[in-house]
Amino acid sequence: MQRVNTGIIFLFLTLVSLVTLYPLVYVVAGAFSPGSSIASLSVVPFGDGVTLAHFRYLFESTNYLLWYRNTLIIAVFSSAGTVVIASLGAYVFSRFRFPLKKSMMMALLILQIFPSFIGMIAIYVILLRIGGIDTLWGLVLVYVAGNIPYNVWLVKSYLDTIPRSLDEAARIDGASHFRVFYRIVLPVAKPILTFLMISSFTTPWLDFIFPKMVLRSSEKQTLALGLFSLVTDKKNLFTTFAAGALLVAIPFIIFFVLTQKTLVTSLGGAAVKE
Amino acid sequence: MKTDGSSRGKVRAVSILFMGLAHLLYFRQYLKGLLFAAAEIVMLVLSPFFVRKLRDLITLGSPQPELPVKLRDNSVFMLIDGVMVCAVLAVFFALYVLSVKSALASYETFCVLKKHPGKQAGRRISGNSFPVFGLAPTVLLVLFFVVVPLVFSACAAFTNYASPNHIPPNNTVDWVGFENFSDLFGGEAAWTSALGRVALWTLIWGLSATLTCYFGGLFLAVLLQESRLRIAPVFRGIFILPYAVPSVVSVLVWKNLLNGSFGIVNRTLMELGWISAPIPWLSDTLLAKFMCIFVNLWAGFPYFMLLTLGTMTAISPDVYEAARIDGANRAQVFRKITLPLVMYQTTPLMIMSFTHNINNFGAIFFLTGGMPKVSDSTITAAGGTDILVTWIYQLTVNLLKYNYAAVVAVLLFLVIAPFAILNFRRTKSYREGEL
Repeated sequence: MQRVNTGIIFLFLTLVSLVTLYPLVYVVAGAFSPGSSIASLSVVPFGDGVTLAHFRYLFESTNYLLWYRNTLIIAVFSSAGTVVIASLGAYVFSRFRFPLKKSMMMALLILQIFPSFIGMIAIYVILLRIGGIDTLWGLVLVYVAGNIPYNVWLVKSYLDTIPRSLDEAARIDGASHFRVFYRIVLPVAKPILTFLMISSFTTPWLDFIFPKMVLRSSEKQTLALGLFSLVTDKKNLFTTFAAGALLVAIPFIIFFVLTQKTLVTSLGGAAVKE
Repeated sequence: MKTDGSSRGKVRAVSILFMGLAHLLYFRQYLKGLLFAAAEIVMLVLSPFFVRKLRDLITLGSPQPELPVKLRDNSVFMLIDGVMVCAVLAVFFALYVLSVKSALASYETFCVLKKHPGKQAGRRISGNSFPVFGLAPTVLLVLFFVVVPLVFSACAAFTNYASPNHIPPNNTVDWVGFENFSDLFGGEAAWTSALGRVALWTLIWGLSATLTCYFGGLFLAVLLQESRLRIAPVFRGIFILPYAVPSVVSVLVWKNLLNGSFGIVNRTLMELGWISAPIPWLSDTLLAKFMCIFVNLWAGFPYFMLLTLGTMTAISPDVYEAARIDGANRAQVFRKITLPLVMYQTTPLMIMSFTHNINNFGAIFFLTGGMPKVSDSTITAAGGTDILVTWIYQLTVNLLKYNYAAVVAVLLFLVIAPFAILNFRRTKSYREGEL
């Protein structure tokens, strides 16, 4: 009986694995197969031989490297900005008493509900007024602002679990608030800040609406915009898209597989903290 | 100044009279007092400008067909400027309250110490101002890039800001009260039915997307953990892949694979001889809805699988030890200990995932683009698989009906807010009242 059960479970897991791998196999196959659209792609993966033409096309005929660079810049700065601003704000919310504190926390809680593109017309006009349209920093500003409400809450709840005696001891020794924050609270809060850094780093790679709205010129495009433009209804360059997507996905996959263990425990940890 | 606390009223009156005055007059806190006073002076100097902006906010400009387009009143700029001025005024009043409270606090220190707090201020001032400087970036960014846009969009719901007759700078926009709401709730048949249809599908989508991912992930995690297969880590490594691939990429790939006429799925099935005509995966409304949920399950189950695995490994071995001593078998341990604990700890995240799915623009937009078309699509731009957020996007970008888009956004808020608030009321810091 036990063996039959194990057999069924094994079969089921294999089946799920196949479904999981199915589209991924075709991304890899598409990236290396001749032909340009999905229609010309062989139904048997790698059925028509292997070519590197799409990668060559990507680097020679599109702005792929530029898209990659732009996205990387946006991701790095919005990640750094989010971590610095949210941790500073969360530290103040966690350790100080001041007027209007409760209403401010409540406001952040309500604000994090909205997807930020609901206000996109207003954001557009505001960026227009401060000269942020078609600039990378304009987009970074939008991302950082959008990240803050939720992440201040997240970091604040984490900091609340760190005993105050730790920073009070340092303060008695004469350390300033900033020093306590920088030297004592930040190192202890490293797990949550790492999580914050990763999550705010990955968002720009996937996001579409705001880059579409903010970035106009062709040399300011991001990966999501560029890749999407390869598979619109009008032109279908699926194989080139697959090649480009592969180059984005590979670093992500390597990273996730490497950090799998930590990821499992930190996700679990976050749940326990609730 | 008396030190027995009887001058409290006087301090309050003076500090209300002019910001920072009490600090300067009574407590010799010159730097702080000057900064407060400077803030009030700046506000006073700018007040005519603010009054003009607020008047514009009320009138939203008047039509000036005789002027060249560039010089006409731009109602949208007026609306946004007006909202921003309100935000600045709110910050100013918060500062005012702060200055009065700070003056009263200084007075209390003065009463206790019997001497001017300004004298031993030095380090204290920089200490006290830390919260202000620490919070300033958060408050300013959130105010101008989150609050102002949201308030603007809420305001737009009460205007006639829509194509073709009310798009600045050619024409002005006017306040119309609840007209848009009455249009969408019964006033105009096509819009009313579209709203009902989209709202219903949004709810169904949110529920089924969340439940499939949650229980799918839970089920797989349990299988991996309890089956004790030696190659379970290999399976886990495979199952984690969809989580690692950026979702735009995976959804776009699915879109191409499921393409009706030349997608891989249909061509494979036809070559195998299992079907004779292509299946309209994404062009049949009902099937397209199922595909949305399926693709979302594909992309979303790894998160909950990881989460469940994480909570399962975090359960203390003592609990299992105790159960084993009491003679519980594996099935009992699982049903009575593992499952309840995992469910208890992941439910808040399930609610959060529900609100996330309601707002999951990418999962719908990149797969179907809201398509296929249904009977009212040409008027309302709402396709068969559009959810509220993608509809808002279509209304804004394609139809330029900002007023209706804003009404839908308000509605969306009413749907989501209760869930989000419910979830946060359960958090530890909220319950312990240390918010």
